Amino acid sequence: MLSSLSRARDETGEVLRVEQLPGGLVELTAHLPHLAATARAGEFAQLRCGPGPIPLLRRPFSVAWVDGESCSFVFERVGAGTRLLAAMRTGDMLGSLGPLGIGFTLQPSMRRVVCVAGGLGCAPFPLLAKQARTMGVGDVVILHGAATAARLYPSERFVRGVDGVRVVESTDDGTRGHHGLVVDLIAAALSDGADAVHACGPNPMLAATAATLRDLVAPRIVEASLEAPMGCGFGTCLGCALPVRRDGGTAWALCCREGPVMPMDTVDWDALRALPPAHVA
Amino acid sequence: MSNADLRVDLGRGCVLPNPVGVASGTFGYGFEFEQLIDIQRLGAIYTKGTTPLPREGNPPPRVAETAGGMLNSIGLQNPGVDHVATVYAASFARWHVPVIVNVAAAAVEEYVRCVRTLDAADGIAAYELNISCPNIAHGMDFGLDPAAAGRLVQAVRGATPRCLVVKLSPNVTEIGAVARAVEDAGADAVSAVNTFVGMKVHLGLRRPVLPNRGTGGLSGPAVKPLALAAVARVRAAVRIPVVGVGGIASVEDALEFFVAGADAIQVGTANFADPSVSLRILDGLTAYAEAAGLQRLTDLRWQPAPLPA
Repeated sequence: MLSSLSRARDETGEVLRVEQLPGGLVELTAHLPHLAATARAGEFAQLRCGPGPIPLLRRPFSVAWVDGESCSFVFERVGAGTRLLAAMRTGDMLGSLGPLGIGFTLQPSMRRVVCVAGGLGCAPFPLLAKQARTMGVGDVVILHGAATAARLYPSERFVRGVDGVRVVESTDDGTRGHHGLVVDLIAAALSDGADAVHACGPNPMLAATAATLRDLVAPRIVEASLEAPMGCGFGTCLGCALPVRRDGGTAWALCCREGPVMPMDTVDWDALRALPPAHVA
Repeated sequence: MSNADLRVDLGRGCVLPNPVGVASGTFGYGFEFEQLIDIQRLGAIYTKGTTPLPREGNPPPRVAETAGGMLNSIGLQNPGVDHVATVYAASFARWHVPVIVNVAAAAVEEYVRCVRTLDAADGIAAYELNISCPNIAHGMDFGLDPAAAGRLVQAVRGATPRCLVVKLSPNVTEIGAVARAVEDAGADAVSAVNTFVGMKVHLGLRRPVLPNRGTGGLSGPAVKPLALAAVARVRAAVRIPVVGVGGIASVEDALEFFVAGADAIQVGTANFADPSVSLRILDGLTAYAEAAGLQRLTDLRWQPAPLPA
């Protein structure tokens, strides 16, 4: 399935605030009325990080939150683009092309949605929790893991006053919450039943989530938000290929239009693992 | 209202309504951009490289950003010439914008089969022969050797009545010699230039970022001075129209290509970051021609002085 581009629009809006969060995370909020009115959880926007030509290309970011006509994005300074974004100030202008891609499946009939968020994979879930509850989903459980407590996305930012949203934390070093990996929390979260599992995070975490779910009575809807180096974000450069299972073999799917959210059982996790680490810079 | 005539006659009845086209590999077959901008205003769409059989493309990573540029190693992912002729061309035929199908293959007879298959379809204004793809085995063989390029063009010329544009490789010692060879063999126009072979190294991994041989095609603003020089050399070598391409991201960039000798231009990598840039360049060229009192944009052309003996 290919995403529709019919809702995507190029707009430019004022940066309202840039917040430096603990652990090096940054949350940027800008006035982007079209994106705010149309984005669904898991969809992304291509943000222009500067006037160019360095960096040349836009960078893809999940829409993390929508409030009125403003949208927020959560990221880390990993390269030239994110460093420029993090250095933006209130009043600067931000270009956004979006919404793009396929988001997470949400249905009003779902009683519980379990989210698995590893590190920066927190990004799509504040908006998911809000949209899920607004449409009538019973409750949302967000399992959030990071290397250490300082790098956890603050739990109140997942919730933001929306009731029926619960966050369970884990840290690799045991400095907060469960001492171990976030995937360790999945079995307990599913024990009372869930209608969907939605995951976002580093590839090894997503692969581990898929493996864990294979051993459990998993819900029918199990999806992962993936990433790949992207040129355009709307399906023309063909740069963001990801390995998927198709017709009994491995084929390439475009992260930008066949994803970034894909059913977990369509991803070829072994092939993804075999790609060079530079694949996701 | 402008008095300038912005039409471009590429030959054999292929008259572009304006000189601003979009480069092969940066615009797909137009279907994505159709949902984002008014593609019917463009001077031409040069499609994704189309091969005799469908191609899945190269393993990732396929793109890597560099300073002011972008490396790609897509590997000509495309649905194959039969699909383009039987499915996509029906859309092209309904469009106002001329569609020029970029054709890539590994052997002369494959190029011939491709254009014969496409000749059966309406809605195709011309072919752009890709003799210069850096990312597939044999992809550049024709583009590197004037004699081989000439033989290929001669064979394709004999197979189709449609306008033939030949896209030149910059990865040669003397691009003018290749341009002259394809002109002599019957090309109606040339486009200059395709991407430059480049490499990005991942220092931490002590290996190139891109797979296979580690190289890809470099495009974007970083290559503009190289592309301008190539266009000037090609202009000096041939009489047929020259379509300038390489790093154009603004009206000024486009104007520079007309000074260097282009008759038309293609906007490429800039489309990725700014889907409407080609239309803004078109509007800017129109306004410039009017403000400068130009009859044609080719009036901007620079005439180089003869080299001292």
